[in-house]
Amino acid sequence: MKTLRFEGSGFEYFKIWIVNILLTIVTLGLYYPWAKVRNRRYFCANSMLEDRNFEYHATGKQLFIGYLIAMAIFIAFVVVQNISPIGSLVVVGLFVLALPWIIWRSLKFNMRMTSFSNVRFGFEGNLGGAYINYLILPILCFLALYAGPIGLAIFIPMVAGSLGGLTSIVTVIGVLGSLLLALFLFAFLKKRNTSYAINGYRYGQGMFSTNVETKAFLWITLKSIGFTILAIIGLVILIAVLASISGLAGKLLEIQGSLQDPIALQTALGGGILVMIGLLYVGLIILSMLIFAYFFTRQRTYIYENSTLDGQIKFASTLKAGQFAWVIISNFLLIIVTLGLATPWVKVRLARLFLGDTHVDTSVGFDTYVTQKQKEQSSLGEQIGDAFDVDVGVGF
Amino acid sequence: MIKGKWYKSGSAAHIRAVLYLDGEQYRLEPEGNIPLPGKIKDIHVSDRLANVERKLTFHDGSVFATQDNDTVDHYLNLSLKANSILHHLESRLSWAAIALIVTIAFSISFFRWGVPWISKQIAHALPQKTNVLIAANTLEFLDKYIFEETTLEPEEMEVIREHFSSNLVPLDDENKSIEFKLHFRDWSDGDVGVPNALALPSGDIVLTDEFIRLCETQDEMDSVLLHEMGHVIHRHSLEMVIEATFVTVAIMLITGDNNGIADMGIGLGSLLVSTHYSRNHETEADHYAFKQMLKAGIDPKAFSTILTRITKSIEELESVEEEEVDPQNSEEGGIWDYVSTHPSTEQRVKQAEQYSECFKQGLFECEVN
Repeated sequence: MKTLRFEGSGFEYFKIWIVNILLTIVTLGLYYPWAKVRNRRYFCANSMLEDRNFEYHATGKQLFIGYLIAMAIFIAFVVVQNISPIGSLVVVGLFVLALPWIIWRSLKFNMRMTSFSNVRFGFEGNLGGAYINYLILPILCFLALYAGPIGLAIFIPMVAGSLGGLTSIVTVIGVLGSLLLALFLFAFLKKRNTSYAINGYRYGQGMFSTNVETKAFLWITLKSIGFTILAIIGLVILIAVLASISGLAGKLLEIQGSLQDPIALQTALGGGILVMIGLLYVGLIILSMLIFAYFFTRQRTYIYENSTLDGQIKFASTLKAGQFAWVIISNFLLIIVTLGLATPWVKVRLARLFLGDTHVDTSVGFDTYVTQKQKEQSSLGEQIGDAFDVDVGVGF
Repeated sequence: MIKGKWYKSGSAAHIRAVLYLDGEQYRLEPEGNIPLPGKIKDIHVSDRLANVERKLTFHDGSVFATQDNDTVDHYLNLSLKANSILHHLESRLSWAAIALIVTIAFSISFFRWGVPWISKQIAHALPQKTNVLIAANTLEFLDKYIFEETTLEPEEMEVIREHFSSNLVPLDDENKSIEFKLHFRDWSDGDVGVPNALALPSGDIVLTDEFIRLCETQDEMDSVLLHEMGHVIHRHSLEMVIEATFVTVAIMLITGDNNGIADMGIGLGSLLVSTHYSRNHETEADHYAFKQMLKAGIDPKAFSTILTRITKSIEELESVEEEEVDPQNSEEGGIWDYVSTHPSTEQRVKQAEQYSECFKQGLFECEVN
């Protein structure tokens, strides 16, 4: 197994990044497609496996028309959202309907525009699959999570009379059942999304394939939920201890006692309660990042282990949850403290971390791969996805 | 002489190669292959970007890749002018510093002055119909979910309406296309009435029962009505829509392909920016009201009186945070000033007093900063 590496540096990228922003500003946004190409290319071309690198081939000119149309749609969307509540519901609905198409077109365009060692990637998944994976399954998952319990809440009181003492047991079983169903659907969704994307990827004439299973995703999800519950209990205990040490508990009682008396309430509020809310807030953000890191790295390891190129080139991920969590939490703080100026370093750090934990079995070699003829794609879908901040791909 | 790798067209296999450049001719010598000669102008060279590998594509589709960027630039510079300027900008520390300063200065002035100014120009270039359009259904919506029917007597409403249309509306002779209309509603939070007045961009002004009850003189009510008219005449709702659009699009462009981490900070940033715009609008409406009051011979002091009374009334009952005449924390300089949609009551009262001084001197124009 050989490890990928990232050869860019934060400072070098900072200079490119800031000039990109400057030129985008000076040209009133018209330079944006070119800026985007230079950003992407910097990250692709600096990603190396042995002596071969990746390359991003789209040009600013190629992106420009798609960019103009995407911006027009985006501006119309923002205006409607600000003007009328009903109109904004309609446009959000339209957007959700268009989302699978946007993802599909983005995957096709971006894979086509990326090469490794002079051979282009591709994406051959079909549009119907995109609608199943990015619209129908998520809706089913959502329904199981919300509609199930709501349905029960309506249904149980109707039959409560005939059930008698069993009502509470039926309720518990019903709620648990719909939760389990939602969990299962979520894991199934993850499996289907992953398979759709990876089985659709091409490298030259080569085909990627994966045989991930719902069971494994379900297990990772359950463990993440378990950690979440434990961590929340821990956080509450921690804050309670801190509160009692600093005498906040007394303050809290004081607040409770003064609820009827606005002036006393104000004095009580002036105390440490803001600090406590702040602590809780920061704690929850860090917590959610930890859980995300756990879920993401486990899933990544599992997907890499079970994916191949043509059944002979194998992959592995050694990204660790703790390591990843530390990088995203410290990146988050860096961005806030520097008001965004640390963005280039943050992105380079992430790229270095990801590539440094990605391994490819190169014993078979890439020399037999040859770029296949593909139909040229317009960049429109990709550009709309970019404007609306759609996260495309399975997140490698 | 440039050392590098040579790929056949579309193939992942590569062999070591050397490229010789001489005048208008080139000669490529792949290791163990026959040399390939050609004209330099037929080579397509990829753009320079930092020090990433350069790709030279020949007309047969084969690719020569090299790390030797400087030599490539040196021999093939002529055809690459625009790109070499770009690379020059991107690789010099001094340019990065200048770009950083210009970007920060530009961003601050763009959000502080640029966006409000452009929004104002656009808002006023659009026909009044636009205002009616964006106000459509708003009153119905509020009636359905927030307001109750008024408890005022029809005669009482008639008196207020009559006074409004004969004394206040004619004061402004520049904006005849706006149809001002008064609406009376009851707005209760629990069993406590909320004193409020709000204007829709179409010219509909809603007064709550509690607000009418709190007004002790006609002047006080007039001052608030003039403030609301100020919002309508300055097209503040429309400006808000345009400002929000600018902020969202600009932030999307500047931050580009972002990961979710930074989104939270961006959300906070745009909240701060939009509340800043909102405070500017309040101040503008205040100034409009004061000027019209001087014209109509009403002491601007009335505005500060009613504002203070409403502030006090709300403080006594509970802290309700809602639109328009809603008073804010009277403490100045607190952290909430930054996220507040209205200037502090104290500031507004101070301004009313400055205008009131002018009024006492019998002036019809008043310069207040």
